[in-house]
Amino acid sequence: MTLSAESQKTIDVYLAALRKQLRELMDEDANDIVEEIRTHILDKTSGDAATDTVSSTLAALGTPEELASRYRTDDLLKRAQSGRSFVLTVRSLLRWATLSFAGLVVFLVSLVGYCLGGGLVMLVAFKLIWPRNTGLWKDSGPGDHWMLSFSFSSGEPPHHGQELLGWWLLPICLILGSVLLFLTFRFGTWSIRKFWRPRAWRRA
Amino acid sequence: MKEAITPTPESAEKWEVQLRKGSLELAILAALWDDRLYGLEILRYLENSSELVVVEGTVYPLLNRLRTLGLVESEWVESDSGHPRKYYRLTAAGRQRALEMTRIWARFSASMTNLVAPLNREISKEMRKEKP
Repeated sequence: MTLSAESQKTIDVYLAALRKQLRELMDEDANDIVEEIRTHILDKTSGDAATDTVSSTLAALGTPEELASRYRTDDLLKRAQSGRSFVLTVRSLLRWATLSFAGLVVFLVSLVGYCLGGGLVMLVAFKLIWPRNTGLWKDSGPGDHWMLSFSFSSGEPPHHGQELLGWWLLPICLILGSVLLFLTFRFGTWSIRKFWRPRAWRRA
Repeated sequence: MKEAITPTPESAEKWEVQLRKGSLELAILAALWDDRLYGLEILRYLENSSELVVVEGTVYPLLNRLRTLGLVESEWVESDSGHPRKYYRLTAAGRQRALEMTRIWARFSASMTNLVAPLNREISKEMRKEKP
């Protein structure tokens, strides 16, 4: 059975859409996938062993978006497991969070870690910009209770008590913030390696 | 008081579909045990040898994933059909994994068979009653 020009065009449009959806992958991987899918379609729709029509074959594969999504998830997982890229890890965690409860939990824990770590690092910047208004204050509150709090602002110092850290705030916050950010990053990549199993294995 | 949810026939069917899907990885490794095969051959082998619900759009990404894990390797081979085909074969790690999964499968299957034995007896009784 030889394909009509119309069928050939339908296949080309499908594969072009698939290739476009796979643009995040390396060119070599994406082209390899498209060629394999092209071979599959041709085997099912043309030649002596042809059994199906082009439309039913494409329907069985799913839309280009659905098919590409399964490859992309695996590719994201593969690259995130290498644990080298911060952006990739965060993107993977976001994707994982949409796929499972475990992913959502890991994402939320990571979010807290990144916010705290990022906040500590930001304190360093605030201290440099507003040195008098940024610090760890020991303040006496109502009923002679002592209060410890970080404070930063561009106005008047909000506390009248004693500022404890002074310029020591810079190295302390920088180190604590960096360690927290690093540990959160490692927690994300470790969780991905340990717990994330590709959904495609469970979804037909 | 909350109303009890009425079980529907679809619930059991969905469970069966999930069960079959969950077996797909082992099924693919088993299909490749004796020989190298290309994607469509694997699909036809699974359809002919088992009752697995195989969706084509899932098998190819899964094969890609197994290759990434080093369980299978692939190569493009010229064919008489006029276009090359991508063949998959098990690697040593893939053969090892297939054996491990088969052992787990056999253990799990045996324990479940034991567990549902009373239910099987009930089903047998029902079948005898239905016979004229």
